[in-house]
Amino acid sequence: MVIAEVRDLAKKYPSFELKSVSFALESGRIAGFIGRNGAGKTTTIKAMLNMIHPDGGTVHYFGQAFVDNEADVKRRIGYSTGTVSWYPRKKIRDIVDIVKRFYDTWDEAAYRKYLDLFAIDDTKTPLELSEGMKVKVNLMLALAHRAEVLILDEPTSGLDPFSRNELLNVFKELRDNGVTVFFSTHIITDIEKCADDIIYISKGRIVAAMPKADFIRQYSGPGESLEDTMLRLEGGAVNA
Amino acid sequence: MRNVLWKEMRLSASVLSYLFILFGLMFFVPGYPILCGAFFVTLGLFHGFQAAREANDIVFSVLLPIAKRDVVKGKFLFVCLIESCAFLLMSIAVALRMTALSQAAVYRSNAMMNANFFALAMAFVIFGLFNWIFLCGFFKTAYKLGRPFVTFIIVCFLTIFVAESAHHVPGLEKLNAFGTDEIAIQLSALAAGIVIFLLITFFSYRSACRRFEKIDL
Repeated sequence: MVIAEVRDLAKKYPSFELKSVSFALESGRIAGFIGRNGAGKTTTIKAMLNMIHPDGGTVHYFGQAFVDNEADVKRRIGYSTGTVSWYPRKKIRDIVDIVKRFYDTWDEAAYRKYLDLFAIDDTKTPLELSEGMKVKVNLMLALAHRAEVLILDEPTSGLDPFSRNELLNVFKELRDNGVTVFFSTHIITDIEKCADDIIYISKGRIVAAMPKADFIRQYSGPGESLEDTMLRLEGGAVNA
Repeated sequence: MRNVLWKEMRLSASVLSYLFILFGLMFFVPGYPILCGAFFVTLGLFHGFQAAREANDIVFSVLLPIAKRDVVKGKFLFVCLIESCAFLLMSIAVALRMTALSQAAVYRSNAMMNANFFALAMAFVIFGLFNWIFLCGFFKTAYKLGRPFVTFIIVCFLTIFVAESAHHVPGLEKLNAFGTDEIAIQLSALAAGIVIFLLITFFSYRSACRRFEKIDL
């Protein structure tokens, strides 16, 4: 079942253009959104969250247009970014205390569980945390309100290999519980390890959006790893 | 909306936003342009906006399960709350200066504007101007604070100058009435100040919502 759909999203900047980006997210699957730096991943995600205004196109979640049902849709989705931290001098627990008021679905047990799993000390402030720990805090906030769709912008950036592996396992666990996970990354092994679907963007254009197995069948040469395939494709795109 | 306001109070606001409410008590100060108290209250609010910007407050708020216009509403509600608290302190000062302290020599010989209902009305006008010039101006970009605040400072001090000078203009002496003298004119001025504040704030809010809806974060 399609749970989120991006159709013909377009956004023009002086030095970059998002061109007719379309893809759909299926319920209970992990979709890896891959592309090199500057390919348009964050712009697409921001447009999916109504943070920027596309010049064209639509974003639907649960069959509803996002712009017309912003608050309802946001209650059912979770967002996390690996690059921004909020309120650097406030204690994590104080931030959480505010955030949970906005969600009827806030799950205190899940919050405690991820607090333990990610080894987060909620008496610390974001300023006292490493980049990797900030990613985990953002992710914990997204997970604790039992979001049906998680939209994660570079969640594995800045994480050590152990934490990354731990996080990818969390994605799989969530997927098994029916949650849709959509995460952007430029780390191909993350996709290799846990994605069911690949959405590949290059120079603001979607090159492929399909199940990983189909992608490998269609684009990979014999004995070629996914990483080699992506590097070859991207090399072609760069030279195109 | 209660949650949005609570978020503004707990996460976005700076301690100075609260502390500077006390400048409302400048209405007790004799021989001083008491409307500067209203300006200092807005200075505390400005500092709060600066601190919130450094904490990525706007993007955090936009990602909460609320509509974008509710982010604007939260900011306006918080600012109006602080302004109301300051107004309360100013009102206490005015009430005491008009009654129990009305015979105090220090106030009788006051060379500046008296703390009366007209002064309260002008404080409302200054708060309204802040909501229009600064708050609405801020939502044009949701990060540029300097230009709207400097513009507000200029307009604010011109307003203070006009208010302080008004009672020296022939025919407008009654605006500086002492105690409960000229109470009808005083109350009319206060009512006009409140209406101006409400109208400016309402239209500023609507304009800020439109502006914020248009910008890319």
